[in-house]
Amino acid sequence: MTLDAPVSLDLDKLYAARLHAVRARPYLATALFALHIVESRKVPTMGVDRHWRCYASPAFVARMPVEELAAVWVHEVSHLLRDHHGRSDRFAREHGLTSPGERLRMNIAADCEINDDVFGDGLVRPKGAVMPRSLGLSEGELMEDYLRQFRLGPYTQDMAWLDCGSGADGLDREWELGPDGAHGLSEQERDAVRFRVAQGISGRPGSVPKGWQRWAEEVFHPAQPWRALLGAAVRSAVSGPGAADDYTYGRPSRRAAGVPGLVLPSLRRRPPRVAVVIDTSGSVSDAELGSALLEVAAISRAVGGRRDQVTVVSCEAAAHTVVPLCRAEGISLVGGGGTDLRAGFAKVLRAQPRPDVIVVLTDGQTPWPDSRPPCRTVVGLFARQSAPRSWDESNPDYVPDSPPQWARVVAIG
Amino acid sequence: MPACAPPAPTGISSDSAHTTQLDVAGALLTLLRDSSTEPRPDTQLEALTLAVAADLPVLLWGEPGIGKTAALTQLAAALDLPLTTVIASVHEPSDFSGLPIVGDDPAAHGVPMAPPDWAVRLVRAGRGLLFLDELSTAPPAVQAALLRLVLERRIGTLQLPPGIRIVAAANPRSSAADGWELSPPLANRFVHLQWTHDHEVVVRGLGGTWPRATLPRLDPQLLSHAVAFARRAVCGLLSARPALVHRLPTNETRRGGPWPSPRSWEMSLCLIAFATAAGSSRDVLSLLVRGTVGDGPGLELLASLDRMDLPDPESLLADPTGAELPERGDLRQAVLDGVVAAVRKRPERARWDAAWKLLVRAMETGAPDLVVVPATTLASLRQQDWDVPASIERLAGAVALSRRADQAAAKVAVVAKARR
Repeated sequence: MTLDAPVSLDLDKLYAARLHAVRARPYLATALFALHIVESRKVPTMGVDRHWRCYASPAFVARMPVEELAAVWVHEVSHLLRDHHGRSDRFAREHGLTSPGERLRMNIAADCEINDDVFGDGLVRPKGAVMPRSLGLSEGELMEDYLRQFRLGPYTQDMAWLDCGSGADGLDREWELGPDGAHGLSEQERDAVRFRVAQGISGRPGSVPKGWQRWAEEVFHPAQPWRALLGAAVRSAVSGPGAADDYTYGRPSRRAAGVPGLVLPSLRRRPPRVAVVIDTSGSVSDAELGSALLEVAAISRAVGGRRDQVTVVSCEAAAHTVVPLCRAEGISLVGGGGTDLRAGFAKVLRAQPRPDVIVVLTDGQTPWPDSRPPCRTVVGLFARQSAPRSWDESNPDYVPDSPPQWARVVAIG
Repeated sequence: MPACAPPAPTGISSDSAHTTQLDVAGALLTLLRDSSTEPRPDTQLEALTLAVAADLPVLLWGEPGIGKTAALTQLAAALDLPLTTVIASVHEPSDFSGLPIVGDDPAAHGVPMAPPDWAVRLVRAGRGLLFLDELSTAPPAVQAALLRLVLERRIGTLQLPPGIRIVAAANPRSSAADGWELSPPLANRFVHLQWTHDHEVVVRGLGGTWPRATLPRLDPQLLSHAVAFARRAVCGLLSARPALVHRLPTNETRRGGPWPSPRSWEMSLCLIAFATAAGSSRDVLSLLVRGTVGDGPGLELLASLDRMDLPDPESLLADPTGAELPERGDLRQAVLDGVVAAVRKRPERARWDAAWKLLVRAMETGAPDLVVVPATTLASLRQQDWDVPASIERLAGAVALSRRADQAAAKVAVVAKARR
């Protein structure tokens, strides 16, 4: 195609393709219209930069039919909406990747993330679009997941021409206009466009594919890893007033020397005591429990607790012995059958001294205590959407209660 | 205890050699410290300056060692304010609420709460920048005492004069494992700014040239306009979205960050007015607003500001030939949609004709695909006795474009059917 006589950019064809793309994906209209077209003979096909300019090669536009160009429009705008350049930069920084080959790999991984769910339903898949399957990977994963799974090699040989611009992989190209060029969008404007698209999608969830709905939910509120959430819950429960530190007249304040004649209370902090109640009935795997348990131990240590201040009770229909964590390497997490965590609560609260915080790790298939226990409660709830709900033969209408209002609930896994 | 005594001080005998060594070291240090500055726009420093100027307490979130303190020093120098640093995590609650001092007759005079010396010096100076460092590692009881300092500006019996501005800094929890959760009421009183370092700036600074930020100046001419604009922006959004007025985050980790409440909206209003009077960019405003009411509500506010910037459909319809349409495609599309919606709301012959003129103008000055949808909708608004205006011929390009897109859609449909 490079031997062809230079053609001028067929703008009308590009516009017609964009119109078709907008009709097929109305919720992307704002983003598609926000792109500024730049004619470029250096870009191999079509590419975007991080400032929302779209570079199009005249020869490529002349060669492609309108319906495939429309798909390319949607593909390129997806790179920008999903912030592939920012994510590539972060991934490169975290993993110390510097070579240009790595950026090509990021471009391929980003393409895989997009191509497995944006086409169809009014849009064709353009010829030569990279699919996860052609790399031997499964569909529906994120760019970062794909990046860990393949290397450049024979499979990717014919993808070396692939170039979606710095908007896809974060590497600036020589033909791009850069941050100071005309018609670029500032960071705030880019956020605004992405926000409006997300709002449009949230506004009419029915007609939008799942992938885009998930994107709209998470674009400005990335999903929090459960470790951070559980950590925050335990930390705030442990450090709340009255939990582990309080004023006491038992010892005078170290400041008392400055005010003779006055007895000042001093602030004393004792290491918080954390009791962990583990639901050992069937469905929760040992690995999940183990990682959650270690997490709780690490957090309580971080807030000033000692390892021997964390006690563990395994509980199914009846509570088992209380084990301090320092001897808990061999807790046998056996169980099955029905669960009644009320036994676990009772057992923990009978202990002397009483715990400051109770952390419950469960899949939620249990009745809960009627009244609020006299200390803070954090519930780590293992998500169980796919697993069948527990079934009681003698009582088929039995529906387990959801965790009570007084507990802070964190979904795990 | 001769065994523990330090080795005989040999240096003392050759006193001159000792001093020269230190002098050489001093000379080396002087060379190392010798650096120049260059002007450079700095969005986050500009946001910080505006928030400090607006007398709102600011909380800088950032990893340890990325120059939060250095930024504060620069800011204090630029505003010509003395800087007082207090490390919150090493203090007791009584340092912020005052220490009781027993006088002659407590029953008659009561027990006054004496403020610490730094507070006294600060109040005596009358002006200054109070920097509360390590806020998130302060225990909850200290945070509670700080609440009063930040909100009511009182330390014990001392009232901080209005010339004193408060800035706090905290490490994000990921980098401070022993950090406490910032309580939601305390979090709601701050403007949260995420402090990050710019790789380029650091490399250039270590090479000897640090950036010198040009700080925003408030324009006295713009003050009343700025207040009116800010009020219109916030009230416009909140009357349309009452749910945004107060929303305590349900997510654990977001409770210690910015969230919308009447108080934070008031702060946001204040910051919009300051940014407008200083002529700051939208990027600065975005940092400030999102740092006050949170990402979601902040972005909604910015989106509604963008809409406020767009030309009013009614004035466009009144003068279609002189209309200035925005150049950016998505904004232009929003304007054209607004014009058609205005005609639909009050369908009159003259308005319908004016809308066609606008579409022709849009067609001739920008991308034609933007015009197709508004033109189709406008055509459907035609009433029986209205003649099609002659200018519609100039939209033929858009019609051809639309037909081409239709053909593409038909081809896709055929392919899809064949595959099924």
